[in-house]
Amino acid sequence: MPAALEVDNLSTHIKLSRSTVQAVGNVSFGLDTHETVGLVGESGCGKSMLGLSILGLLPNGGHIIEGSIKLGDRELVGLPDADLRRLRGNEVAMIFQDSLSSLNPTKSIGKQVAEPVRLHRGASKKEAYDRALEVLELVGLPQPRERLRDFPHQLSGGLRQRVMIAIALACEPKVLLADEPTTALDVTIQAQILRLLDDLRDRLGMATLLITHDMGVVAGRTSRINVMYAGRIVESAETHELFTGMRHPYTQSLLGSIPRLEQDATKPLVSIPGLPPDLTNPPAGCRFAPRCSRATDQCRAQEPPLTGEDPSHLFACWHPVEGPINLTSQMRVVAERAAHLDVRALKPLLQIENAVREYPVTAGVLKRKVASVKAVSDVTLTVGEGEALGLVGESGCGKTTLGKLVVGIEKPDGGRIMLAGKEVFRNRGRALRLARRDLQMMFQDPYASLDPRMRVQASLREPLVVQGIGTAREQDQKMRTMLDEVGLPLSALERYPHEFSGGQRQRIALARALMLEPKVVVADEPVSALDVSIRSQVLNLMKRLQAEHGMASIVISHDLAVVKYLADRIGVMYLGKLVELGTGDDIYRRAAHPYTDALIKTIPVPDPAAESAKTEIAIRGELPSPITPPSGCRFRTRCPRAASICAEQEPPLRQFGPGHQAACHFPLQEAAPA
Amino acid sequence: MMGYIIRRLATALIVVLGVAAIIFALLHWLAPSPAYDVLGAKAQPAAVASWNKLHGYDRPEIVQFFSYLGDLVHLNFGYSYKLSQSVSALFKENAGRSAYLTLAALLLSLIIAVPLGIMQAVRRNTFGDYTFTTLNFVLYSMPSFFLGLILIQFLALDWGVFPPTVSDSITTAWQAFDHPTQLALPIVTLAAINVASFSRYMRSSALDNLAQDYIRLARAKGLSQRAVLFHHLLRNACLPMITLIGLSIPTLLAGNLLTEYLFNYPGLGLLFYTALGNLDYNVLLAYVILGAILTVLGNLIADVAISIADPRVRLD
Amino acid sequence: MTEPEAPLLEGLGDAAGMPIGAPEGGEVQIIASGWNLALREFFDNKLAVVGLVVIVFFILFCFIGPLFDSTNQTLVNPLNTDLAPGGHYLLGTDEHGFDEFGRIMLGGQTALEIGFFAAAIATVLGTLWGAIAGLAGGLVDGIMMRIVDVLLSIPLLFLVLVLATKYSGTVVRLSLLIGLFSWLIPARLVRGEVLTLRTRDFVSASRVMGANRRRIVLRHLIPNALSVVIVNVTFQVADSILILAYIGFLGFGLQFPSTSWGDMLGGAQNYVTEGYWWLVYPVGGCLVVLVLATNLVGDALRDAFDVRLRRR
Repeated sequence: MPAALEVDNLSTHIKLSRSTVQAVGNVSFGLDTHETVGLVGESGCGKSMLGLSILGLLPNGGHIIEGSIKLGDRELVGLPDADLRRLRGNEVAMIFQDSLSSLNPTKSIGKQVAEPVRLHRGASKKEAYDRALEVLELVGLPQPRERLRDFPHQLSGGLRQRVMIAIALACEPKVLLADEPTTALDVTIQAQILRLLDDLRDRLGMATLLITHDMGVVAGRTSRINVMYAGRIVESAETHELFTGMRHPYTQSLLGSIPRLEQDATKPLVSIPGLPPDLTNPPAGCRFAPRCSRATDQCRAQEPPLTGEDPSHLFACWHPVEGPINLTSQMRVVAERAAHLDVRALKPLLQIENAVREYPVTAGVLKRKVASVKAVSDVTLTVGEGEALGLVGESGCGKTTLGKLVVGIEKPDGGRIMLAGKEVFRNRGRALRLARRDLQMMFQDPYASLDPRMRVQASLREPLVVQGIGTAREQDQKMRTMLDEVGLPLSALERYPHEFSGGQRQRIALARALMLEPKVVVADEPVSALDVSIRSQVLNLMKRLQAEHGMASIVISHDLAVVKYLADRIGVMYLGKLVELGTGDDIYRRAAHPYTDALIKTIPVPDPAAESAKTEIAIRGELPSPITPPSGCRFRTRCPRAASICAEQEPPLRQFGPGHQAACHFPLQEAAPA
Repeated sequence: MMGYIIRRLATALIVVLGVAAIIFALLHWLAPSPAYDVLGAKAQPAAVASWNKLHGYDRPEIVQFFSYLGDLVHLNFGYSYKLSQSVSALFKENAGRSAYLTLAALLLSLIIAVPLGIMQAVRRNTFGDYTFTTLNFVLYSMPSFFLGLILIQFLALDWGVFPPTVSDSITTAWQAFDHPTQLALPIVTLAAINVASFSRYMRSSALDNLAQDYIRLARAKGLSQRAVLFHHLLRNACLPMITLIGLSIPTLLAGNLLTEYLFNYPGLGLLFYTALGNLDYNVLLAYVILGAILTVLGNLIADVAISIADPRVRLD
Repeated sequence: MTEPEAPLLEGLGDAAGMPIGAPEGGEVQIIASGWNLALREFFDNKLAVVGLVVIVFFILFCFIGPLFDSTNQTLVNPLNTDLAPGGHYLLGTDEHGFDEFGRIMLGGQTALEIGFFAAAIATVLGTLWGAIAGLAGGLVDGIMMRIVDVLLSIPLLFLVLVLATKYSGTVVRLSLLIGLFSWLIPARLVRGEVLTLRTRDFVSASRVMGANRRRIVLRHLIPNALSVVIVNVTFQVADSILILAYIGFLGFGLQFPSTSWGDMLGGAQNYVTEGYWWLVYPVGGCLVVLVLATNLVGDALRDAFDVRLRRR
């Protein structure tokens, strides 16, 4: 029986105004019914282009220059557009990452789901609508009949993604291409959608290609994984085999660079130096050679073919590795820093007491305040000298707002923020300026945090100039030192931000934040906008600088593994409230709050065994609106343990161990005696 | 929805009030009293003073302003001493003809610009696109009357296809409609400049939309290019045009003035021009207020239309 | 009231990657520094270069030209009116007997002068207004922008014409007249730009490091808003010249014997009917070409600045 989809030696080029991008080169793989195959790689590796090539939806200037794509026994390459159109949405369907921009904003949901049915099956309006209803129920959309008339912007991200899946499945395709289907979603919603895709595959028997950069997502639900780098498939193996016995150095480094929940936080992450190649001018030999520690002249001269003695495990490397990196035997350990800072022994430096921040929602010509977004509600935290505190939570939980309160970008509506016992932001003028030396921030978006009109040296010098520190020579010296510490060449000083990559800009931002030698640094999603292989570079850097400078830091991220790697203690936030606080171990091994527990359970980890062991969906339902959060315990609407008291009374923070607190009426552990 | 309309009407009213204040101040500065128009330029100061007293032109400015407002509410735009008619009557007489010209030109420009803009976006960077972009640029850089002159030269005088000016026998909008050749050149002249700016906008709006993901998803469903353009692109690309039309009203009025003057078509524009020559400030400023009212109303209608067409714009 | 932007940017194809690196942070790709990049993009656009050349040509032609070819432009010469081109008169004469070629030079001088002055007035006023409104925020912003809304409701040409009945005739007066009513659009643009910039992270970063308002405005907001202003000035010049043409055509332009290209077209209907093509098309052509060149330059500037910001 032929495979559902067979791609052989496919190459796609995209012609730009001045150059040609060799987006996909000599890619071959297969897909069977009832099977999910993963296609992983970083941004720019060509995985999305590969998906679009299969459907024939390449952007302007894109062509397939060689190879074959077989759908069943039909050849797709070279097929006239009219025939290809009959297959699109019908036999082969695709879902995309951004559900908000992928749905027509001015057409109702019902119309958009019914459209492929009317087109391919010639159904009447009523028949198409009936089928739309059917398939919306299939994807688990609550109250589908009412939703038919809704518009995309009225639904939440998770629901929209279900609609997109419904559109793809409306005509019962044989092959489904899913391009980053859950990347834009919150972790808890992500789990629901991935589970849905698995269910649908089991029930409908589609051959599914799961395209993503997230190794955790593919770990538990694919039978095979293809790893792409710079337009080529560099390794192809069964899932379990790939994670435990990978052969290609890139796969090895990639998996080693991802921080894991159970990893030892004193060890550095595997780091891949440099950047992916420019595909308008790819290197002659192996495309990974410039960044590979094992590269030889042969690698640089000749491209290795995709082979292997075992036909089910192929890799393209002249000097393959054998399995994952053994961290203990390699690389120096991060500079001396105790594995677990004894939090109780630290002097408290930053105190957040009952912080409240609400944003008004206005309506009408007169801009009356009709409601408020309760971004941060009564949060109390202390950060000790030299301590690294992590703040983790999903969108709308208030972690970013809290970070802004700490550095004084926003003013709290209630409560106090105190540094060394003083409410520093009550000061004015010179006193305020002096106080600001101690609280600095590293922003999330590397493209927006540096003034595009200022050279790097001006951006780095600015904190010193503003604070009036040092002579010009001393400032110069400090800049050079800082630049060196963050691993950038001196020539960077003369350049403008747009000449750097995302990872490099984050380094500059970090350098700038440290220029004033602050006592507290807030890092807001420091690596979220970066490619996977670059993240570990910046994380290692942050860990090293933390140890060397001894400042306290607050690391904000939606990624629990990142936070756990960098932080001594972690605070878990939900809808503006702090629900749990404890060390990494406390959170990971002894979670007391059901939300924390659910988070740990739903986060996809790059470990196939662990992923397959996950059975139930730990969290149901959607995130409530921060404008009208649930009464009492805000998590109660999604909590399996909720009872009536949870709606009436807000649970107080209780101790569960030294430094371990949680706010829940029915915690997963026994609370320590008061 | 009704609440929104009422709120917008209230804002519109305030804007018109502001405009009225400015216009009144101008009127008061330029022509505080029509006494000299009535009594003659050489009238005695005493006669002027008593005439002013009789007609209320000696009252304090604020009082005059409120009575002016009161008049406006009753659609009394003042009186033209030069033409010996009430301005409202003059407006009524000419409005129909002007409306016909302007609306016909607007319709023509939309009929051409919308498909043109989309075609240019779809066939981006081809020869056709470049040609039309260049043409648009040239039209955009041309004073509207110059295009009119060229059309008159070639189509009217040299080839005699259309008359160089509108015949005096055309006195109502109906007649204009019945004799299309008479108004062909004015309509085309007025439409041309608008085509340039509308199609430029349409092109960039269509380009923006074509780059959007929902177009890609529509294609992924297997829809043909035509179906994608018609069922998905068209509506979304036209949305900004609605706002643009609202904002173009002042330009349309100005174009109307120039075109009527050039082709000697008796409408509000030509009335304005005559008033300029006569220094008939009552007419002039009444027309300015009318223009402002039309602009504000036009924007209001555009906003409401957008809120109907675009479900994302749910009015607060 | 919403104001749609008209981005004329086409999506730049995204090259897949960046160069290979050796230092841990990776090599720094040298593209070109800020203004140089914009300049390079600008000069790459051939039409823009042509436009610039045309503008320079007209400036030289109109101002330096009369030094080489001086003609009588003040004393009416009734014997030589309305002569067709030929012999002594390169482009014929007009109804006053003036040499048309020389008149075009003269008319161009005033057109350029008024165009630039009016644009300068409008831009300075508009930028200040918009910047203050955007920075102040709150009630001050609300009031300032309501005023702009009110003034924008009044058709520009009408207001200018009404005032021109009493207050026109010289270059200075016309420049003021046009400039004092054209500042509304730049005000809106600058305010919008300032509002966007205020929320950018790099501005927050400056606040966090202790910068005061003055520093943020001078060192961060103004340089970043500058590109919008520069692009706008160019378009203002084009628009001002066009408005001047309308005013002149309707007969409210400069006082005789001064003239501008618009004024020269004042009797164009008659000229056309009488067949005096040399009094219509050369002038009109110059007008169109100058405005077109200015628009091309403005368009190219806008593209150049945006490319610079988007280059990653």
